[in-house]
Amino acid sequence: MKPFFQKVPRLVVVLVLLALFGLVRSPLEDGLRTRLVEANLLTPPPAQGAFEQMGQSALMGTLGGLRSLVATFLTLEAFEHFSTKSWDDLRQSYQIITALEPRDETHWVSVIWHLGINATANMEVEGRLPAFERERRFKEYAFQAIDFAERGIEQIPESSAIRIQLAEIYREKLKDDCAVARVYGDTIGLPDAPGYVRRFHGYFMARCPGREKEAYAYLMALYQEGEQQRLPTLIKEIQNLEEKLGIPGPRRIPDADPDRPQKTPRRPPNLLPGDILVPFSVQDLRKIRG
Amino acid sequence: MSDLAVEVKNLTKVFALGLKKEYVVAVDNLSFEVKAGEVYGLIGPNGSGKSTTMKVVLGLMAPSKGEARVFGLDSGDIRARNEIGFLPENPYFYKHLSGAETLRFYGKLCGMRGRELENRVTELLKLVDLEGAANRRLGGYSKGMLQRIGLAQSLVQNPRLVILDEPTAGVDPIGSRQIRDLILRLRDEGYTVFLCSHLLEQVQEVCDRVGILFQGRMRREGRLEELIAIEEQTALTLEGASPELLARVHELVAAEPGAKIVSEGHPRTSLEHLFIQIAERSREAKK
Amino acid sequence: MNAETTVPKSSPRGAARPVPLFSPGRVATIASGTVTQLVRMKTFYFLLAFALVVVAVGNFNLPATPAKELSMIKKVSFGTMDLFAWLFAIVATALLLPRDQEDRTLYTILSKPVRRIEYLLGKLCGVLVVVGISLVIMYGICAVMIGARESLFVSAEIEAMTSSGRYSPEEIEEQVGLIRQQGLRPELGIAVGASFLKAAVVAGMTIFLSTFASSSLFTIIVSILLFLIGHAHTMASSFWLHSSDNSMIVQMLVKVVKILIPDFQLYSFSEGIVQGEAVVYALVGQMGLVTLGYLVVFLLLSLLVFVDKEF
Repeated sequence: MKPFFQKVPRLVVVLVLLALFGLVRSPLEDGLRTRLVEANLLTPPPAQGAFEQMGQSALMGTLGGLRSLVATFLTLEAFEHFSTKSWDDLRQSYQIITALEPRDETHWVSVIWHLGINATANMEVEGRLPAFERERRFKEYAFQAIDFAERGIEQIPESSAIRIQLAEIYREKLKDDCAVARVYGDTIGLPDAPGYVRRFHGYFMARCPGREKEAYAYLMALYQEGEQQRLPTLIKEIQNLEEKLGIPGPRRIPDADPDRPQKTPRRPPNLLPGDILVPFSVQDLRKIRG
Repeated sequence: MSDLAVEVKNLTKVFALGLKKEYVVAVDNLSFEVKAGEVYGLIGPNGSGKSTTMKVVLGLMAPSKGEARVFGLDSGDIRARNEIGFLPENPYFYKHLSGAETLRFYGKLCGMRGRELENRVTELLKLVDLEGAANRRLGGYSKGMLQRIGLAQSLVQNPRLVILDEPTAGVDPIGSRQIRDLILRLRDEGYTVFLCSHLLEQVQEVCDRVGILFQGRMRREGRLEELIAIEEQTALTLEGASPELLARVHELVAAEPGAKIVSEGHPRTSLEHLFIQIAERSREAKK
Repeated sequence: MNAETTVPKSSPRGAARPVPLFSPGRVATIASGTVTQLVRMKTFYFLLAFALVVVAVGNFNLPATPAKELSMIKKVSFGTMDLFAWLFAIVATALLLPRDQEDRTLYTILSKPVRRIEYLLGKLCGVLVVVGISLVIMYGICAVMIGARESLFVSAEIEAMTSSGRYSPEEIEEQVGLIRQQGLRPELGIAVGASFLKAAVVAGMTIFLSTFASSSLFTIIVSILLFLIGHAHTMASSFWLHSSDNSMIVQMLVKVVKILIPDFQLYSFSEGIVQGEAVVYALVGQMGLVTLGYLVVFLLLSLLVFVDKEF
């Protein structure tokens, strides 16, 4: 042993041992990585595109294992772009943020809200641009928001918040009731989906040309579920459909009880649209908290 | 058990320079022995191989050839380290530790614990006269104090052999004399002392035997008196001699065939002696 | 020097103490010496810098809802904590060995019956204890800040909801629950543990480098470089190994780097925990074992270099 050690340079022995250890640990670590990623504890490497867009310091930080720090500071930067209405810069920032932390639902919801609601609203009132350009950009931002939403859904398939935010764009900005119905339909059954999405799915299906019959059946099924579903809007939507589809009198639902207490949708203070966008009940909150 | 404290046989130490193309022989086929209970001095100029030899004996370096043994144990054997107390040249200890903490630290490294360790720390601090500075951090110690705490540290596990590397380097004459006195007392207590120095006068005062090392080789070795005695000369120092007496001495010498007076004059005290006398007088006056 | 004292002896000379093959006592002595050294070098002052960062972040007026703001404070403070932990592990470890060598303290230590593995292990344990203490203190600072913000948000929310008079106690409780979910939760302790594991591997790697490095500065720079590479090589391999148009040389290089340099990116699972993902304790346990493996291997390699190193 001793003569061997004396002949072979120590550095070579060290490197060989280090490599042997590397060969043993490498498959173990790869397995661990896969399971950590599956458990959502570890984020897979960002897409190559994200690196190209990143500034030097952000890149170094990310390489140094400071992903969430970089992402948080970029979020602050993005807010800066929001206050100066620099929508393209904001989109750039979120490209990186969502690449760094694709599992953080709030990033996706925020960027969809910023581009889909704020940027489009800004285009509606921006006086410095000609009308044609404003309209073009309005659509561009809305579609960019939809693109983000689709990528977000791909990353977090179980997220209802992203879908609800997406539905909001279709409803408020693109006035596409069929798309709204489709998105709400996809949201039903997700683990943290609020209870209202089933009703909303029905409401917007009712407004989607060609799906009235389907919507009537769906809403009636909800109605049959009992008192807790018989909200004024539901009743109104069903009555509209009864009119539209010419449902005979005896099969129509009775008028809503005028003495029934009106459940006013409430919106807690301090909430941005990205967080909870639509009226919710205590039951909805319970579902959100799981 | 071996009665040899240190046994160095045919020791050679070669260092490779740079990219291992050039070599320097620091110690060349060196052999010597230090008997248990004696004070042995290895003297030589800087770069003569003293420190290298010492490091081999301490097990800090491995010999390229030959061997070094301490009380019969190979110097690389960790058990040999229990028998050795070492005071390096200009010792540096952890500046953040106090004197007492330093001794405790080294005591614990030697496996000492509890009351035994505490008693030992107190004894050693008293021995080196640092009781007053026991709780001061070493960062605030003077060079002489550091040397003394270093000596105490070397004695902490009560070793049989004490190795001192330039024990008085950078220490003032009084401190130097105190260290010399302590070395002599160590010998009286039965410790073996192996020291390296280039201060010949100091070695002369304390060593039983010396070895003179030059360019990695042992040039002379033996008992001090034997090495420095000039056999064919005799020194005579007179006090209160009258000029007549001196004239008669001259006449007597001239009458003897083959004899001559080599030198004559007033003997001088050494500067070291003078300095110590003054210092001691001032200390007496203070009391 | 005391002229009246004779040289004290604690035991008759000649009866040398036996030297055990491995002494945890000596490791503990060197470790506690290292802790004292690092503490008295005032290294804990960096915690003040950390506290400043956390206080600054905690007082940001962030553009978000209370729950989101808490989540951001949490992410920044834990990210900074992680950064401080590994950076501290590198710098502290890199200072120890070369310094002992430069100061020749190493001579006096190794001339006592101390095995070199005990010395290395003692130093490493000392650094790990200090890193551990620092992390606990940093966690404490974070907990105070997040806890304070959390209770502030909660009371503000309760007040706003109560004063509006439109919410039932049950609804208020639900809303408070939403905030609490982003506040101080026991799982965050596991995230701190993950940072500790990462810092431990970093310290092990640094001590290995410092056994053959010539200076602290070299060790620090190389350690940081390897740390960055250790983070990037997973990304690098996913880019280069899965595309066919890369040359053999590039692919080989990536593989070699992956084999030689620790995978630090794995330890980023702490970020997942901070983001609120559920902790899988079995995986955390396995990461602990991987860390132990790294430490054992780095110590053995350090010993291989250090065992017959001449001073």
